[in-house]
Amino acid sequence: MAVQAQNNSIPSRGLVYFRKSSVFVILLVILGILALLSPDFFTVSNLTTVALQTSLIALVGIGMTLTIITGGIDLSVGSVAALCGALAAGLAVRNHLPTYPSMLIALVVGGMLGGINGAMVVWGRIPPFVATLAMMAAARGLTLVYTQGRPIAGLDKAFTFWGSGTVWGIPMPVIILFIVALLAAWMLTQTVFGMHIFAVGGGEETARLASVAVSKVKLGVYTLSGLCAALAGIILTARLWSAQPNSGVLMELDAIAAAVLGGTSLAGGSGTISGTIAGAFIIGSLSNGLNLLEIPSYNQQVVKGIVFIAAVLLDYILKRQRR
Amino acid sequence: MEKTASRQAIRLFLQRYGLLLSYGLVVLVLSLLSQRFLGISNQINILRQASINAIVSIGMTLVILTGGIDLSVGSILALSAVISAALMKNGLAVPWAVLTAFAIGAGLGLINGLMITRGRIPPFIATLGMLTVARGLALMYTQGQPVTGLPPSFRYIGAGTLGSLPMPIVVAAATFIAGIILLRQTRFGEYIYAIGDNVQAARLAGVPTERVVNLVYAFSGFCAALAGLVLIARLDSAQPVIGQGYEFNAIAAVVVGGTSFSGGEGGLPGTLLGALLIETLDNGLNLLNVSALWEQVVKGVVIALALLLYKAIGR
Repeated sequence: MAVQAQNNSIPSRGLVYFRKSSVFVILLVILGILALLSPDFFTVSNLTTVALQTSLIALVGIGMTLTIITGGIDLSVGSVAALCGALAAGLAVRNHLPTYPSMLIALVVGGMLGGINGAMVVWGRIPPFVATLAMMAAARGLTLVYTQGRPIAGLDKAFTFWGSGTVWGIPMPVIILFIVALLAAWMLTQTVFGMHIFAVGGGEETARLASVAVSKVKLGVYTLSGLCAALAGIILTARLWSAQPNSGVLMELDAIAAAVLGGTSLAGGSGTISGTIAGAFIIGSLSNGLNLLEIPSYNQQVVKGIVFIAAVLLDYILKRQRR
Repeated sequence: MEKTASRQAIRLFLQRYGLLLSYGLVVLVLSLLSQRFLGISNQINILRQASINAIVSIGMTLVILTGGIDLSVGSILALSAVISAALMKNGLAVPWAVLTAFAIGAGLGLINGLMITRGRIPPFIATLGMLTVARGLALMYTQGQPVTGLPPSFRYIGAGTLGSLPMPIVVAAATFIAGIILLRQTRFGEYIYAIGDNVQAARLAGVPTERVVNLVYAFSGFCAALAGLVLIARLDSAQPVIGQGYEFNAIAAVVVGGTSFSGGEGGLPGTLLGALLIETLDNGLNLLNVSALWEQVVKGVVIALALLLYKAIGR
C-alpha cells in the first residue's frame, strides 16, 4: 500500500509543508482579517490578552491531542480542571496548606482522575466517550460538593502569581504553556512513548503485534490529559483569584475543536502539538476579535460556529487538492 | 460458524439481560429505601420526565447506529422551539407552527448530514459546529428573552393527558414505535445497520449510503424538534437556553442501552431502557433527599458501574 502510494505521487517538499501547515495558513488569514477590521487588534497589549486567553484552551488541548491520537477522547477535562482548581484553592485557603503542596496535591488528583478514565477504558472496555462522560458528571458533582456551590476566594500572592503574574512582561500562563508544549512535542516526536501513542492510534491490533504495551500507553495518555486539565484549572483559579464551581464548563468542546482545527484526526493516528496550539489561537483570537468588533455575544456564537466549520472544510479541500 | 453464532447470541442476550439486571437492581434498592418510589403516580412521573430525553435519544440511536454522532440536538431543539413559539404568539395557527418546527429541525439535521456526506467533515465536528450556530441563532432570534403564553390547544401535547397518561409519554411511545418500525420493517432500517457495520461494503452492495446518512441526521433533527415542542408545551415557556447538555443525556441513554459507538450494533429497546434507568436514578436520588450537589457524582458513578456490570457479564 505504502509503496503504491509513493509511486502514484511524490509531492514536493513545499507542498508537503503547506499541506501539513494549512492550520497556520488559516490562522494567518483570520489574524489578517481581524487586523484589517480592527485597529486595536494588532497591538502588543491586545495580543498579550489573546495569548493569555488562549493558553488555557491550548493547555487542555495538548492533553486532548494525546488522547485523540490514540483514537480516544477526554470529555472530562473541564470538570477535572474545575475540581483540581477548587481543590488547590481549598487546601490553601481552608486547610492553610502552603501554596506549592496545595498545587501539587491538586495536580496528583488530576493525574489520578485521568488514570481512572484510562482504567475504565483499558480494563472496563468502556468506550472513551462514555467513560470520560461519566467522569465529567462525577467530577463536576464533586466540585459542587467540595465548594458547596460557592466560590473559594482569599488566595495569597504566591498562588495568584501563577495566573496573573508576569515575567519580563510575559504572562505566567503563556510561559507555562510554552514549557508544557515543548515537553509534549518532544515526548510525542522524540521518545518511544510518543511513537507508541501514534502506533496505538494507527491500529491497535498491529501495535499489539509489534509488542507495544497498548494498555500502558492508554493509561499514560489519559493520566497526562488529567494532569494538563488540573494544571489549567489551577492556573485559571490563580488568574481569577478564586475557584469557581462551574468554571471549565464546555472547555472540552473548545479543546477538541482546537485539536481538530490543528489537523488531529478524530480517527486517531495523526496529530501535532503545534497544530493544536495554532487551533487554540484561532479560537482565542476569534473570540477576542469579535469582542473588539463589538459584535453582540449571541451573534458571536453563530460566527464562531460557521468559521469553525469553514476552517475544517478548507483544511479538507487543501489536503484533497494535494493528494 | 454455528458455534460462534450461538456464542454471539448468548453474548447479545446477556448484554440485554445485564442492562435489565442493572435496572432491576436500581429499582429494587430504591423501592427498599423509599416507600413512595414504587407508587404508580411516581412511576408515571418518571416516565414523563424520561420522555423528552427518550424522544431525542431515538434519533440519536439511529445516528449512532450509522457510526456517527449528533451533538447538535440540544441546540436544534431550542431553535425550532423558540421559533415556533414566537410564530404561535404572533397568531400563526398551531398546526402550521408545529410543521415549521419540524421543518427547521429536519432541515438543520439535513445540513448536518450534507456537511458529513458532501463536505466529508467528521460527524463530531460538523454537529459541534451546528451546536454553536443553532444555539447562537436561538439566542439572536429571542434576544435572550423567553417566549411565554402559548395557546392552550398547543399546550395539550405537553401538559394534557390521554386517558390517564400524560401526553409526553404518549408522544414518546408513538415515536418509539415509529422508530422500531423504521429500523426493523423497512429497507431503510436495514441500510442503517449495513452502513454502521461497514460503509464501504454497504456502498458496494448498492446501498445509497449518502442519502441514508442525510436522512438519518434529518430524522435526528426532527426528533429534537419534536422533543422541543413537547418540552415548551409542558413548561408554557420557550427559553433560548433550553436543551443545553441534552446531547450528553441522549448519548448516555443510547450507549447505556447497549448501542455500540462503532455503529451497526444495538437498537431502540435498549435506548428506552437506558433513558429510563437514568431518569429512575434521578428520581430516586430526589426522593431520598440526596443533595443536588451529590446527585451528579452518584449518577456518573452508577452509569459507569452499570456499564461495567453488563460489559463484564457480556464478555
